[in-house]
Amino acid sequence: MMITEHKGKLLLGTHGIAVPHGSLIREPNQLRSWRNGFPIAVKAQVSSGGRGRAGGVLRAANMEEAEAAAQRLFENDFSGERPQTLLVEPWLDHAREIYLGITVDGMAGGYAMLYAPAGGVEVEQQAPLEYPFGAPRNFKAHGFRRLLADIEQDCALRERVVALARRLLFLATAIDAITIEINPLAVMPDGKLLALDAKIVLDEAAAFRHAETSDELERARKKERPAVAKALAGNLMMVWLGGEVGLVSGGAGMTMAAMDLIADAGLKPACFLDCSSNPTPAGYQLAFKLLDAEPEVRAILVSIFGGGTHMDRVARVMGDIMKKRRSRKPVFFRMNGTGRDKADAVMREAGLYNYPTLESAIDAAVAEVRTP
Amino acid sequence: MSVLIDQSARVVIQGIGGNFGRFSARDMVAYGTQVVAGVAPGRNAREVEGVPVFEDMRAACSATGAQAALIYVPAPGALDAVLEALDAGCRVVVYPGDGLPVQDAIDMRAATHRDGAVLIGPNTPGVISPGKAKLGFMPSFCYMPGKLGVISRSGSLSYEVAWRLTTAGIGQSSAIGIGGDPVKGLNAAEAIELLHNDPDTEAMLYLGEIGGNEEYALARYAARADAKPTAALIVGSAAPRGKKMGHAAALVGSQVDTQAAKAEALRKAGVHVANSLRDLVLVAQHAMSQSEKEVLDT
Repeated sequence: MMITEHKGKLLLGTHGIAVPHGSLIREPNQLRSWRNGFPIAVKAQVSSGGRGRAGGVLRAANMEEAEAAAQRLFENDFSGERPQTLLVEPWLDHAREIYLGITVDGMAGGYAMLYAPAGGVEVEQQAPLEYPFGAPRNFKAHGFRRLLADIEQDCALRERVVALARRLLFLATAIDAITIEINPLAVMPDGKLLALDAKIVLDEAAAFRHAETSDELERARKKERPAVAKALAGNLMMVWLGGEVGLVSGGAGMTMAAMDLIADAGLKPACFLDCSSNPTPAGYQLAFKLLDAEPEVRAILVSIFGGGTHMDRVARVMGDIMKKRRSRKPVFFRMNGTGRDKADAVMREAGLYNYPTLESAIDAAVAEVRTP
Repeated sequence: MSVLIDQSARVVIQGIGGNFGRFSARDMVAYGTQVVAGVAPGRNAREVEGVPVFEDMRAACSATGAQAALIYVPAPGALDAVLEALDAGCRVVVYPGDGLPVQDAIDMRAATHRDGAVLIGPNTPGVISPGKAKLGFMPSFCYMPGKLGVISRSGSLSYEVAWRLTTAGIGQSSAIGIGGDPVKGLNAAEAIELLHNDPDTEAMLYLGEIGGNEEYALARYAARADAKPTAALIVGSAAPRGKKMGHAAALVGSQVDTQAAKAEALRKAGVHVANSLRDLVLVAQHAMSQSEKEVLDT
C-alpha cells in the first residue's frame, strides 16, 4: 500500500534523509500563509504512481499562479484519485537529478537497491542499476560502491549515494516497507542530496506491528467503492472489475483462472472475489449480499476447489443462503475439493445443481447472461 | 526418495492443537504420512489425534527423530516457529500461512539457507509426492503417482489442475506449492532445480500468475540444453493493471509482469504454454510425450 509523498517525506526526514521544507494545504486559500518565497512546486497528494506524467505537479512563480495551480489540482483526479491535500515546497535549483530506491526482489530472496544516474519522470525508459543483496544483513557498502563505479563517474556523489542507500535500508526494515523510491533525488549545487519526491509502499501484512500501517489500510479501504469496502472489512479479498458475471471464489489462483475463462467466453467478470480468507457462513452471506445488490451483476458463479476448506460445510452454507435469499439472480455452482462426496449429497438435498467442471458452469452462466 | 518427502519422512506439526492442526494431522496420517509428534504451546495437551504432543520442538524432535515440520501458527509468531524448527534440526519445513510480512519471509529464507535446510512457503498448501507422503493440506484425491512434476504459486489452482491431470491419467511425481508471496523459502528456480535432479520426474508443469518475475526462471531453464520438457499455465490475463489479485505478489506493475509477456517468453524458450484451464491437460500431455520421445531417441 502506497502512502502519500508528504507522509513519505516525514519518514525520510526522521531517518536523517534531507527533504525540502514544505507545507501541506487542504484548500487553496491556505497558500496565503506561505512565507518561503517563490517559485514553488504545488504537488497533488495521492497514493498512486504516475502523478508527474498526469500533471499532478505544477510550478508557480507567484501567489496568483499558485492559487490557480492549487484550484486546478484540487479539481482533478490523478490515477483515479482526487487529492485531499497538496504539498507546497520551494522550487529548488539543482545540478542534477538521480534515482535511488530499495525494493523487495523475489529472485534475490530479499531486497535490491536500485540506482539510475538520470532520474525524473522518464526514469523507467532505461533500466536502473540493480544491486540484489537479499537479506538486510547482506547489504555491503563496498559491493554497492563497486557496482556504482561502472555507471557513476562522480566519486564524491558515489559516497553520498552509498551512505544514503544504507539509511534507506534501515528505514525500509524499520517500517516494513516493500519499496522506497526517491525520484528525483536532487544533487544540489553544494553536492548534497535532497529527496524531491518519496514513494513508499508499506507491507500490509505487517500492519499487526505498525499502528500507522493499519490506520493507512483503514483509510485506503474507505476510499474504495462501498461494495469493496464492505468486502474488505468482512475479510474477503475483492477487486471490482465491473462486468456481468459475479464471482464467489476460493483461492487467488483459481479466482484468476475463472476470471480468465469468463473473459475468454466474451464476458467480463464483475469482480475478483476470493472468500478463502473468511470461508464462514458470514463470509459467504456477505459475498452474496454484495453481489445481489449490484445491478450490473446478472449471474453469479460459485467456483471453489477446497483444500483446507471443507466443501460439505460450504455446501450446507450455500443451501441456507439460497433458501433465505430474495434476489432472483441465477447462481451457478461448481464446487469440488475436500469433503466433495458429502458436499454433493448436501447439494442434492438442497435442490442445487453442482456443475461437474468449471467450464460447464461458466458456459451455463454465459448462456444465461446472453439470453435477452 | 522423491524430492522433499516420502514414506520415511517423520513429521512434526507445530500448532497441532487448533482445529486446522487436528484436521491436517488426521488427513496426513490417512495418506500414509508418518506424523510422529505435535507441539501445542500454551495448551496442556498430551496427545492430539493419537499423536504425542511435546512442550517444544527440541523435545519433540529429540524424542521422535522428526526432521520435517509443518507449521500452523498465525503470522505474528511464524518466524519464531520456523527458527525453532530449524534449531531442533528439521531439514524440511513447511509454513502454509498467508499474510506474513515480507521481512519475516526474508529472515526465514536466510535462516533456512544458513542451516542447509529447505523451507516451503509462506502461503502454500505444502508439498505432496503422490502415493508416498504429503506435508500439507492439499486434497489427496486429486493426485496420483506418476512422472510429471508440478510447481505452483497457487494452492487452489494446483488442486484443480492436479484433479484434471489425474482424471486424464497423467500422474504426478511431486507437486510443490512454492506459494503466492514475493519472497519464498523455495523459489521457482530452486523448485525447478529440485525436479530437474529428481529421477522420478520426467517433465514439469509450472502454474504461475501475473506479477513478480519468477516465471522467467522457467524460461531460462527451458532454454537449457539439458532441460526436461516443460509446460505452463499462467493465470491473470483478465486482471487489471496496478491491482493486487489476492496473492501479495500477484500485481501487474510493469509490462514484464503481465500474463501475455510471461506466456510469450515461455513459448519462445520452448515451454508448452496453455491458453487457459481448457487446454491445460493438452499441454501437459505434450510435455509428457516429448519426454517419452526423448527417452526413445537416446
